[in-house]
Amino acid sequence: MPNQHENQQDQEILELLKDYPMPEAAAGFFDQALVRATHEGSRRQRNRWLMTGFGSAVAAGLVLWMIGGFLLTTPDLPVPDATIPGITMTLEEPRTVNLVFASAEALDAATLTVTLPEGIEMSGFPGQREITWQTSLNAGKNLLPLKLIATSPLGGEVYATLRHDDRGRTFRLRIDVS
Amino acid sequence: MRPHFERLYRLAWRLTGQKAEAEDLFQELLIKAFGKTDDLMHIDEPGSWLSRMMYNLFIDERRRFARHRMQTVEEGHMSGEGIEGLPGGHNTALDHERYERLKMLDKALSQLSDEHRLIVLLHDTEGYKMTEIQELIGVPVGTVKSRLHRARARLREILSADGTFF
Repeated sequence: MPNQHENQQDQEILELLKDYPMPEAAAGFFDQALVRATHEGSRRQRNRWLMTGFGSAVAAGLVLWMIGGFLLTTPDLPVPDATIPGITMTLEEPRTVNLVFASAEALDAATLTVTLPEGIEMSGFPGQREITWQTSLNAGKNLLPLKLIATSPLGGEVYATLRHDDRGRTFRLRIDVS
Repeated sequence: MRPHFERLYRLAWRLTGQKAEAEDLFQELLIKAFGKTDDLMHIDEPGSWLSRMMYNLFIDERRRFARHRMQTVEEGHMSGEGIEGLPGGHNTALDHERYERLKMLDKALSQLSDEHRLIVLLHDTEGYKMTEIQELIGVPVGTVKSRLHRARARLREILSADGTFF
């Protein structure tokens, strides 16, 4: 328990803290910040090929694929994390996952990195856990089919990271193996 | 959003500790909020929501702000650099003794951990309630209280160790 002297010191400190100064924003700063935010926000919205579009587009791609080739033959499985799209693969049976990237404009020299969990391989890249390449995106939707093979029943998460200039987004895809 | 600008700017300042970074953080918040205006329209307490967004932005990009802070430290003010450049630093209404004490307090604040300094400044200087701090930084009220208690005790300890203060 603080003694009387400590209480008095605390009180003095509290009074000083109330006076602890801080500079005010420069005149016009708020107006300028608002203008910049409106301009920059619009620009980012125009240029976005960001995760909101990317994620939902990928999900749409998966839905198309799942309806076409998967759900008709396999019952739904519980999804551990509903925010991460997931698929179930059959051991040693190649499956194509369609990633869809939505871009408002054509982009050259975007870098795509796919990181695979142990036991999942990409066709043509046996044993590689990380594959990186450069690609160009057209304006609109860009379809990237990834042919995956499960070589063990472990499953895990696939990360696909797309970068362009200083922007980048990562998409996660959960894979279960039956 | 406009009615919340002043308070948000003050929060940015308390988080970053200097003008350039406070302005950057405030600007980033507005840009981010620009894309969420639809959400903002349906939120009961937009001020709290924006504050939390700013705090999360600061935490997410802490490394960036820390890096800038090191590069531009002379452009602004951080705790421990002295209060001469701040409003009130030359305020003739402040008696000399009080001014000296504020300088000591400034130096003592710089010796606290980031967490403790932020909670002290938000609660004791900016007048945030415990529940507001809880909501902002995402820790239970009990933790906020204990951090505040420890931060004040540490301030007392630092200031008491200097014979000129008490």
